[in-house]
Amino acid sequence: MKAKLILLIFCAGLLFSSCSKYPPSSVRLTEDMVIYTKYDTATPFSKFKTFYISDTIKWIDSKDSGYYTDSRAQSVLNQITQNMTKRGYQKVGLNDSPNLAFMVVVVKNVNTTVYYPGWYWGYPGYYPPWYWGGSGYYYPYYPAYITSYATGTMMIDMADLTTLNVDQKIWIRWNVYIRALMTGDHTISQIQQCIDQAFTQTKGFSIN
Amino acid sequence: MKKIIGLFTVIILLTGSLQAQEKATIGFKPSSYYTFSWNTTFTLGDFNKWVTNASPAGFDFGGRYLLDRGLTVGFNIGWQRVSQKYGYQTYYDLDGSAITADNYRFTWMVPFQGVIAYHFLPDKLVSPYLGLGIGGDYMEHHLLVQEIDAYNTRWDFSLTPEVGALIKFGNFSNWGALVAFNYKWTTNKIELYKGSKSKDLSMLNLKVGICLIIR
Repeated sequence: MKAKLILLIFCAGLLFSSCSKYPPSSVRLTEDMVIYTKYDTATPFSKFKTFYISDTIKWIDSKDSGYYTDSRAQSVLNQITQNMTKRGYQKVGLNDSPNLAFMVVVVKNVNTTVYYPGWYWGYPGYYPPWYWGGSGYYYPYYPAYITSYATGTMMIDMADLTTLNVDQKIWIRWNVYIRALMTGDHTISQIQQCIDQAFTQTKGFSIN
Repeated sequence: MKKIIGLFTVIILLTGSLQAQEKATIGFKPSSYYTFSWNTTFTLGDFNKWVTNASPAGFDFGGRYLLDRGLTVGFNIGWQRVSQKYGYQTYYDLDGSAITADNYRFTWMVPFQGVIAYHFLPDKLVSPYLGLGIGGDYMEHHLLVQEIDAYNTRWDFSLTPEVGALIKFGNFSNWGALVAFNYKWTTNKIELYKGSKSKDLSMLNLKVGICLIIR
């Protein structure tokens, strides 16, 4: 009888150990940083020469908004600038008619389920389309999106300002979503690596 | 799964009374036997590029019926999963999107095969054999990144040459152990992201199990 019991335990153990599962999406979503990028494959990026980037990062949550100006924010903005410069683009001021403009936004202290394009556009304080002289933002592709924002998520949109004279439409040629980047838990070096990775994984993005 | 455990419990309890009482002089040639094995899989080739880890998550149920001398025919059905977590990898798609993240890859499969095997010493305590399984699999290949679950499902054709041994717990025991090693080749493929296309999938399996022997 003892032998049978051992056999039963052996077999039951085998079955249960065989059926372990990976964590559900709710658990996977709490894991560390994710870098998601998408670019307009139909646009020759060599046609752009100059870009503009602000010296602040906008933060928004479900009730309020403001600006990050600290060292982490500066490290992000500097890293974007460095990557663009490496690819041959020239940083210019807002009054110098830049071809491209970067908009960097961080979702602060909020875990909500939303659809990416359309939520924060026009949010008080964020660049509305008319800030650039346009009538609206448009995606020439189905944009990178995520259905759940997490605290510290950063979104970078690269707007094409060269088409403003045609129909006042502002086309987003590249967008980036970096989950949990600005939680305060990551070092500046890690933040810089994530920005670098966003550029590295965008193969078609170069002036050459 | 409860049904499997229940069935196995019933088999053990009912057949215990059938233990042989003959004199322990020579062994006996089984008319049939049934195996329940724990499988460990080692992926090879393109399958190994998908999941590198060996996986002990699997089991197999089989039956063999003696035809003549040591020749047996039978079947195998089972369940197996190989899986691995990869830290920070980048996946590219043709639409210009790319994602870098921790990700999980796993494949689970349900193999089913007809088997022919030859036992060299069918009436001995240790009965080595050579066999060949021919059949197919149902497989699901999953790539999990955050809330994304990208997957393929495929049926395939498979071939499995196997070498193993049936080891009786006594000359007249109705119970024994099974140890076997096989190479499995399948026509299955993994096509989940840019660069992931595989030609076919192959693996090695180590089976260790128990065996119910019928006279």
